[in-house]
Amino acid sequence: MQLGPDTYSATDFYDELIDRDGKPRPHAAKLVEYFNSMQAEELIARQHAVDRTIVDMGISFTVYSEGDNIDRAWPLDIIPRAMPGDEWDRIEDGLVQRVRALNLFIDDLYNDRRILKDKVVPAEIIDSSRNYLQACRGFSPRHGVWANICGSDLVRGGDGTVYVLEDNLRVPSGVSYMLENRNVIKRVFPSLFLDHRVRQVSEYPTALSGMLQSIAPAAAPGDKPEIVVLTPGVYNSAYFEHSYLARTMGVELVEGGDLVVGDDDCAYLRSIDGLTRVDTIYRRIDDVFLDPETFRPDSMLGVPGLMRAWRAGNVSLANAPGSGVADDKVVYSYVPDIIRYYLQEDAIIPNVPTWRCSDPKHLDHVLAKLPELVVKPANESGGYGMLVGPHATSREHEQFRALLKQDPRNYIAQPTLDLSTVPTLCGESLEPRHVDLRPFILQGDSVAVTAGGLTRVALRKGSLVVNSSQGGGSKDTWIIEAGT
Amino acid sequence: MLSRAAQRVYWTGRYLERAENTARIVQQYSQLLLDLPEEVGVGWFELVRIVGATDAYRASGKPDTETDILEFLLADAEGSSSLVYALRMARENVRNTRDLLPHEAWESVNELYQEARRSLGPAAKNEDRFEILSECIGDCQKITGILTGTLSHHSPYHFLSLGQSIERADMTSRIIDVATAYIQHNERLVRRYGSSLWTNVLKSVSGFQMYRQYCQPQVQGYRVIDFLLRDRAFPRSIAFCLDNARSSCAALPRCRDTGTALDKVEGLLQPIPADRLSAAEVSTLMDNVQKCLGDVHQAVTATWFLLEDGA
Repeated sequence: MQLGPDTYSATDFYDELIDRDGKPRPHAAKLVEYFNSMQAEELIARQHAVDRTIVDMGISFTVYSEGDNIDRAWPLDIIPRAMPGDEWDRIEDGLVQRVRALNLFIDDLYNDRRILKDKVVPAEIIDSSRNYLQACRGFSPRHGVWANICGSDLVRGGDGTVYVLEDNLRVPSGVSYMLENRNVIKRVFPSLFLDHRVRQVSEYPTALSGMLQSIAPAAAPGDKPEIVVLTPGVYNSAYFEHSYLARTMGVELVEGGDLVVGDDDCAYLRSIDGLTRVDTIYRRIDDVFLDPETFRPDSMLGVPGLMRAWRAGNVSLANAPGSGVADDKVVYSYVPDIIRYYLQEDAIIPNVPTWRCSDPKHLDHVLAKLPELVVKPANESGGYGMLVGPHATSREHEQFRALLKQDPRNYIAQPTLDLSTVPTLCGESLEPRHVDLRPFILQGDSVAVTAGGLTRVALRKGSLVVNSSQGGGSKDTWIIEAGT
Repeated sequence: MLSRAAQRVYWTGRYLERAENTARIVQQYSQLLLDLPEEVGVGWFELVRIVGATDAYRASGKPDTETDILEFLLADAEGSSSLVYALRMARENVRNTRDLLPHEAWESVNELYQEARRSLGPAAKNEDRFEILSECIGDCQKITGILTGTLSHHSPYHFLSLGQSIERADMTSRIIDVATAYIQHNERLVRRYGSSLWTNVLKSVSGFQMYRQYCQPQVQGYRVIDFLLRDRAFPRSIAFCLDNARSSCAALPRCRDTGTALDKVEGLLQPIPADRLSAAEVSTLMDNVQKCLGDVHQAVTATWFLLEDGA
């Protein structure tokens, strides 16, 4: 199988492995050589081996409303997406910078609101955000850090620039697939790893558990605080990940009903030994379901009194409730200003240019250029409720024009990015498919970033939608040390 | 261990055992009816009674035909008395405790459930019933084998084993109960076919061989009952199940109340007199055994599953 000028159709997009002349990029030379030495049949056989391994290892994700058969095997393409180590070093610095600033920002919003008083970010954007929780005002979690686990989506544009597309500060998922993708590729292509120095990702569960320990209430037993992962349950689309992380950290996976908050404002676990104290909850349920006493009274997933226990400082929640305020896509457009405000630095990784529909001038531009733009609701995730202008019908354009006029605060627009591509096995040939990248950043008493992250790939030709719930696949992501 | 997880593993044990026993009972009953003349008056409805589903069946309004009854006991997807329901619940519980159990257990129970959904309908209509039920029993044993062979003997194992022991003791008492019911109703005819009946009872718990080897070659009603109640070496006797349940409880924290409840069941297991076998007495005894096993279940639930709110 030749990944060369003749066989790998050159496109106008930036390819992560192959340059515009059809030659392998330097960091990917050996990788490309390796796959070039394989016949199509062998590639297909290896892909089957990957698929089988995934089924055997039970790596699955859940799609809603498919009746009884709700687990689907996780789709992983055999060709890794590779980036050079020195480029990654810069991105890593940029992510650390970004998450530090975002956490200072959230802490400020719930306390002094300096940045609003200084009019760097308009107060009405925050006060109209449904992710800004009054229940969190006047509180500061341990180390002043709210978003302990952040998944920021990165994309590379046509000129090779890497942008942050969005920050996921609520309950970002995907890290278990990053870990399992590496495990599977290692099993199926062991020899590849002998020729490359690929930065490891397997330490993530240890780093996560260390971070969760570091944010436990100060009064908790320092050596071994009780940590649990709180899941909405087996029918949640990310249940595999919840159970995976609990297992690899060696902590209990619990549901709301397993926890109880006592009259002493402490959180306890219902166990066969009786009620036992819990110090840190890595919660994978949304804010509004956390505590029926404070938020949605009909929530069956949460724990009555949990906010009480959190505010009393008796239990830590990761991420802290209310972190999602910085997850808003309108707030996103201010992140470069936020970084400058708190850190007096320029953003190392740029934002994608963003028009805020709340701004009348921006809105006019968006309405005029709609067929060229991507429009996103401010608060959705998973690729839902968005419009990809160039791929939409004129009827859909009209629908969105109406939506934008009706509720401008809730929308932003961005140019349709020429997302970079990576060779992907499609049927019997390797074809360019668009990818993004979600690294995971942990912040407790210190900050850590995964080497690479989860690369998601839009398997349909020309598609820019990479979400697994909407037919996306994934790739192992390699950060290759220079000189290998 | 989480109370919720403990509860699920316990119910996995119960439902797996219930599924296996339902298959055993239906299979042996089908064989028995081939041997007994119709005038013995042993009908298919006894099967519904044996699993304690009389009211549910009457409520369904179905007639007492072989196909309807077996459909109800094997393949009914809605009702809670069917084999397929027991497997669905076992699967559901394993699915929710996958982190605690060997991976193969989930795969096997999932396969078994999917297979049962396909095959139990035809089995109710007596297409390959014997083979399908044999396979089902074998598959249940395979899962039990996986669990006992690879699950470390910590709390999850003890809860699984406890659920299994309680369910098995309960099912054995029901099997004895039904056998005595025939005697009660048809003393003269059953005297003639009694041996066949008791052989069948033993076979339904795979106990025919062990009874003959370790008890005695002749199949006599009171001895069979005594064997199934009190033999401490036969794995499906009530006494054996109680010993098992007791050691499971002893390995768990705060087990005093369950021990007391088990003592009460034990107290019921008095020798069965040879000279005079009163069907009514045996039947009352079995009712009491079932009631006391229910108390054991309540004690288990109160001790480990339901914790009061507040610290």
